[in-house]
Amino acid sequence: MPRISVPTTARLPSALRVDSSNPAVTKILSRLSRSSLLSVALDWLDDNNFALAQPYLREDENDDEEADETDGFYPPARSPEALRDLYISLQARKGSKREVLDRITEGDWRHGLTLYQLAMADLQYLYDHPTSQKWSAYRVTPLKAPTDPDGEEPPQIDTQSLTIPRFHPSTFLKTLQAQVLPDVKAHYTFDPHQSLPLLLLRIFILDSPYNTSHALQRQQTNNNNSSKAPPGTATGFDASRTVYIAFPDASPQVFISKPESTTPAGGGGAAGESKSLRNLLVEGIPKALSRPLQRQRFTLQSTNLVTRNLAELVQRRGGGRTNSAGGGWSIYADESGKKRETPLDLLLPSPPLSGKEGDEVNNGDGGKRRAASGLAGGGEEEEERAAKRARLVALARFGGTAVMGDGKGVERVDVVVEDTFPAQQNEPAQTWRPHVRLTFHGPHVFAGIRQLVECGIIDGERMPGWMTGEEGVTIGTVRNGRIRGHKGSGL
Amino acid sequence: MASSLDDEIEALQARVSALKKQLSIHTSTLIAARSTRQLLAQEDNTAIDASLKQKLLTQSDLQQAHNQHCLYRACATLTTFRARDPDPHAVDGGAILGLRIEVTSRAKFLRPYYVLMNRPYVGARHLRVHRHTLPPCIPLAGLAARYLPPPSASSSSRSGGGGGGGDGGSKDTTTRQDLARFARALRREVVRYHHRLGVVADLRKAAGLGRKKDVDEGDDEGGVGQGSRPVQLVDIAPADAETKQITLEWADGRTGRLVMGDDGEIVKLVVLGENGRDREAGRDLLGGAVRVEEVVKRLAAMV
Repeated sequence: MPRISVPTTARLPSALRVDSSNPAVTKILSRLSRSSLLSVALDWLDDNNFALAQPYLREDENDDEEADETDGFYPPARSPEALRDLYISLQARKGSKREVLDRITEGDWRHGLTLYQLAMADLQYLYDHPTSQKWSAYRVTPLKAPTDPDGEEPPQIDTQSLTIPRFHPSTFLKTLQAQVLPDVKAHYTFDPHQSLPLLLLRIFILDSPYNTSHALQRQQTNNNNSSKAPPGTATGFDASRTVYIAFPDASPQVFISKPESTTPAGGGGAAGESKSLRNLLVEGIPKALSRPLQRQRFTLQSTNLVTRNLAELVQRRGGGRTNSAGGGWSIYADESGKKRETPLDLLLPSPPLSGKEGDEVNNGDGGKRRAASGLAGGGEEEEERAAKRARLVALARFGGTAVMGDGKGVERVDVVVEDTFPAQQNEPAQTWRPHVRLTFHGPHVFAGIRQLVECGIIDGERMPGWMTGEEGVTIGTVRNGRIRGHKGSGL
Repeated sequence: MASSLDDEIEALQARVSALKKQLSIHTSTLIAARSTRQLLAQEDNTAIDASLKQKLLTQSDLQQAHNQHCLYRACATLTTFRARDPDPHAVDGGAILGLRIEVTSRAKFLRPYYVLMNRPYVGARHLRVHRHTLPPCIPLAGLAARYLPPPSASSSSRSGGGGGGGDGGSKDTTTRQDLARFARALRREVVRYHHRLGVVADLRKAAGLGRKKDVDEGDDEGGVGQGSRPVQLVDIAPADAETKQITLEWADGRTGRLVMGDDGEIVKLVVLGENGRDREAGRDLLGGAVRVEEVVKRLAAMV
């Protein structure tokens, strides 16, 4: 540790060690399952990461016996290879998570874990629990070049611009760092997502002016009254926050997660604080993306889509064709083999949902239904026809989307309906607009609505379009039966 | 035993569907053929009865219409169609004008891109983009703002936003929309984008990198190339959404970035080695090329 530590705006170095008894370390590590913990530990010992995750090894080769006595329960390993073998053997063996956790914090990394290691463990948790973060989607939109030399007027959004914002990770990080105030220290980790076309940026933020290990020391006094202390005075790990930013490949969108505090004692003002942190990020990200020298300035616009499901975000805001062709429109975006629609195919196409195609989709349960109705007798024939029609209507309205188990579900949709109250027949038309607020909850909201349509509980033909999820928003206001502004789709 | 029977059934079913497909292809060709139509049109032909003849004639007409439709699609590559919005609250009775943009890549037609437009404005016939399947790297919003501006707010209010949707009124003439120019500009962007993608693929091929799927094969080719060239390129990949920038990676750790213009002309190339910028490697790669295609040729000649 250097003797003098000067407040700077530099980022926290990845090699900085956090005391392994720190509650934040325990919290981050104990969230992982045993197998994930072991795989993370093996990743640390990998040659690529070894420099930033050095374990506690035996330095002196000669005095084995003496060392064994003093080192107690977890004798340090002789070499990284030996340690790797040990963790691989642990992987093969059954045991408790506690055993591995203690081995890491009290044995092999007793001298502390680096911030890099913590970031890797945190990212592993994100992969293990993909719905653990709540993401909001923002669109990066270009701004008009400022005409006012003083910069007094707020910049205007350039709707006619043909520029697609470009994202370069290291430049972005450099400029984002410049936006951060010197009394806040952050540690950044980039990681390409394991399965989705995303680049994840984990930002670990500490309220500390130091970028040395001073920042990581817990104040003993804070231990007791951290909840009472005003947010400004809590230093070190007690006020640390983790935020994820995801950049989808080939799409000018940004997904920002809700900041979460690392330590259990979040404090009273945590909610407001994390909100302001998010606002800081929302302000800082477009500045970091902008390149004023090339006269390219951007801003972030909320796109009213908040979900825990990253796959859904990639589907609705990613680099593909499905961004503004949701619900029934998804047949236009379908790129799978059969519906290529090449102009060289001279076969007469059968209209959708009639004949061949309809049969294909409904083959499975159609046969079963027929058999069942045969047993029940002819009286249910009409019912069966209605059920078939309901299924076809659902297919027409939802297309291939909103299927249970496609892994692309939103878990909450908030809609405010501001339509006029339906007038009675002999009354003059009213203009009273009751304020109706609807909230849909569930693991996959639109698949649930689709199932209701298929069962005939919702009339699929009279159902408004926003109930199919084709707008791609989770927050919206409905006027005249349509989501206002069409922020999600179209343009 | 059972499994072999199942296999047999499966094979037969596959054959049935293949034959059916073949039959339908032959039907579609025969029914629209000129000689068939002549036969059908003959009044005194009594070999087939009248109702069947009528049926065949309508089928033939349908097929001819479809053939013409396909011809237009293949040659004009920009076609329109009508569709219906299934939403019962859709504006303008759910009438939708669709724009279909055909793209070819590697001698194949890709799934067309669609832009679906409606008329949400009261008292004006202005179009608005409702849904589309274009990737986000196509500046559709900017093009729409340029060529399909909404009617000015004073003369008519949007039925979606305005109260009740009954107010508003006079026809607007100040903001004129130009669908043809919009469609042309959009197609240009789409085709450019696919050409840029294609050129990156060509670069990879020329450098012996192959697709990501068959990396092994690519490695073999690279091994052959190693003999004739001092340092091998190990990665070529698009670096941004629009594929205007390409990252290059050499086996010895040098990295480079090639910036392409809209139409594939080389704007800039920077190669960074261990000791800063490596201008020689840049010159080596370009060799006076102005367009990316020339670099492709050079690379192919070198390997």
